[in-house]
Amino acid sequence: MTGIQLHDVHFAYGARPVLCGVSGQCGPGEVVGLTGPNGAGKTTLTRLLMALEHPGAGRVEIGGRCTDGLGPADLADQVGYVFQHAGRQFFSRTVLADVAFGLRQLGWTAARAGAAANAALAEVDATRMAGMHPHDLSPADHKRIALAAALAVDPSVLILDEPTQGMDRPGMLRAAAVIRRRKASGTAVLLVTHDMAMLAECADRVWHLEEGHLVLDAPAPGLLRDPELLHRHGFTEPAQVAVGRTAVRAGEPAPIRLADVVSAVRDRLRSPPAPTAG
Amino acid sequence: MIRHVEGTGILHRIHPLTAFGLAVSISTSVFVAPPPLGPVAVLAGTVILAVVSRLPSALGRTVVVSVPFWGFLLLIHGLLRHDPGRAVVIGSRVSTVILVFAAVVTAVQPARLVDALAALRAPFSVGYVFSATLLVVPRLRDRARAISEAQQCRGLRVAGSPLGRIRAVVPLTVPLVLSALSEVDERAVALATRGVGGRAVRTVLHPPNAGGLDVAMGILGVGILVGSFFWRVG
Amino acid sequence: MTAIEVAGLGYTHPGSDQPALADLDVSIPAGRVTLVTGRLGAGCSTLLEILAGVAPRLTGGTLTGTVRVLGVDPSTREGGRTLVGRVVMLLPTPSSQLSGMTSTVRDEVAFGPANLGWDRQRIARVVDGELDRLGIAGLADRDPATLSGGELQRVILAGCLAMEPEVLLLDEPAAELDPPMAERLYALLPELTATTVVLATTDVDRASPHVQEVVVLDGGGVVAAGSPSEALGQEAVVGLDAGSTVARIVYEAGGRGRLPIDVAGVREWIAS
Repeated sequence: MTGIQLHDVHFAYGARPVLCGVSGQCGPGEVVGLTGPNGAGKTTLTRLLMALEHPGAGRVEIGGRCTDGLGPADLADQVGYVFQHAGRQFFSRTVLADVAFGLRQLGWTAARAGAAANAALAEVDATRMAGMHPHDLSPADHKRIALAAALAVDPSVLILDEPTQGMDRPGMLRAAAVIRRRKASGTAVLLVTHDMAMLAECADRVWHLEEGHLVLDAPAPGLLRDPELLHRHGFTEPAQVAVGRTAVRAGEPAPIRLADVVSAVRDRLRSPPAPTAG
Repeated sequence: MIRHVEGTGILHRIHPLTAFGLAVSISTSVFVAPPPLGPVAVLAGTVILAVVSRLPSALGRTVVVSVPFWGFLLLIHGLLRHDPGRAVVIGSRVSTVILVFAAVVTAVQPARLVDALAALRAPFSVGYVFSATLLVVPRLRDRARAISEAQQCRGLRVAGSPLGRIRAVVPLTVPLVLSALSEVDERAVALATRGVGGRAVRTVLHPPNAGGLDVAMGILGVGILVGSFFWRVG
Repeated sequence: MTAIEVAGLGYTHPGSDQPALADLDVSIPAGRVTLVTGRLGAGCSTLLEILAGVAPRLTGGTLTGTVRVLGVDPSTREGGRTLVGRVVMLLPTPSSQLSGMTSTVRDEVAFGPANLGWDRQRIARVVDGELDRLGIAGLADRDPATLSGGELQRVILAGCLAMEPEVLLLDEPAAELDPPMAERLYALLPELTATTVVLATTDVDRASPHVQEVVVLDGGGVVAAGSPSEALGQEAVVGLDAGSTVARIVYEAGGRGRLPIDVAGVREWIAS
């Protein structure tokens, strides 16, 4: 099986335990949202997946390979990783050159790398930025370009750490659309996020970490429709789901994605339910 | 790298400016004291001071930096010019300066140094430059590591052939310089909005006290310098 | 009572040919919490930098029009110095706001008051008060460099509040915080009744229940101003897709006029 596999992973920074026996799978074409309070171990988990660290005990497998003995450069041809502070990696004079940088490192020819970089920029709707200097861009655009760089290699696994932090809603919806498209073509996606609306738009499942333990591994729609479960783990219900619940009749499952909620509200506005008797 | 370490030795307890004064005095003395024995004696004395002040990390760092340097010196002056004494003199001078400043940087807490300067009514910028300089190395190192990781995740190999390492320099250093520069901007804005730049005289939160130990160290510093001078002319 | 008056404000960043703010007029009432929001690039952070006296003095750029904060022009050298400690700003990234000149949290919180020259007893009093208010009294002796992002942002905020400012500006203060901590930060703001609070954020859904006034910017000018339901419920604002998610949903479903900005409002809207 490819994608991501975690087998009873333990990790500590010195004496401080950070991850305690985490197990889970995210297969091709699946999108898993990784949530949890800051300090719970989310970023550490992504670092283990990218072989930036190695587990103290247990196994981490990514793209069909165990990370033991590997480093991040060994995984770069299969895994696209977007850091939380995405602006740090840029150094080229143009956005296009920076997106192509990774591909050239992997030995691709200039022509092939250029074509893939242009395609990736088009995928995130950033073609107009291709000739700009990366450092002239806003932080939200840094994230967009970093995502393009991760997509350019056509990875089988995508790991995204807070990809929509600081974005406005159109930006978030665009990122969600990119993830859904990649999911449809078989990429496994692990998405670290606090953004409940983002989870609603594209997550299939949610992994919730608390103090290094995976306390929840549940399908996203079920979680989002369950206010009590959300509250128990400290989530706030995304506004769109709350509106969705209002718009549908009792007993019908609430729509979760923005477009579906809008449809439900539109239907409700056009044909209000018949007044109940008695 | 060299950064402040908590401790209770002599250099930790004296006034920060006394410590810096001592460093300047010893650094000057090692050039004033007559070769060939003078610099060696000053170095030996500095090592003893570092040991007594319980600063093993400063000593360790100095040794690590000095060994290749001494090896190089002994090769040039010892073997090629048949004057090993010269190598010892130069090596002693360099090692002394490194050791004494490593000792002071390790022992003096930046916050105390800033308070000492504020107590002397020095302008805020002086204290800021000192603390920013002491902080810059660890911050740059953290930033460099973050950048290196980001580039490795894009396929850059940082270990390996010399040519590979040379090619890795640009993707590693350019982002570092850019982010260091933008961080200076951010920090300037943050400080401006936290009360810096007003008309008031800055309150000293922890006034440093100079005690008997400072007097002793002051005398020692002056004594070493004067003694070296008299040794040279005598 | 108005704390901040802006008339015909225009501002262009150095090296840019497009103005970031153009002919902007806004009044911000004293003692209340005002949300300034808009799409990314609308000029909210720039406006705050100007109110804080940071732009154009520190950042460069050209400013036209008039700005008065507490009756003073922050863009002049004299005005800036007068407002030091009276106008205070919190930025999104905690680590770049650390002074780097202190070794304990207590001293870091005291950094601002110390710069204002207060006596040590007064400083100790306000520092203890703010440590308690922000719930970080337990961190008082820790080295700020060892704290997590959330703890650090609370320390910096405590440091800002310790200066007992008349105007508190917050630029995306919850950017690096998890949702529960962001919620707590926003909930704190209305309690600062002696302070004029101006909060710039795109996190409208979470922040708007805690604010009393809203100003919406677009393309460098003001598009709407008023109470949250007035400003965020306007079609012009919702059409920008910069504000309330609820209002946007109803708008996309065909709703027009004054739109609801919360779920209760949606139920009423549907019922009517």
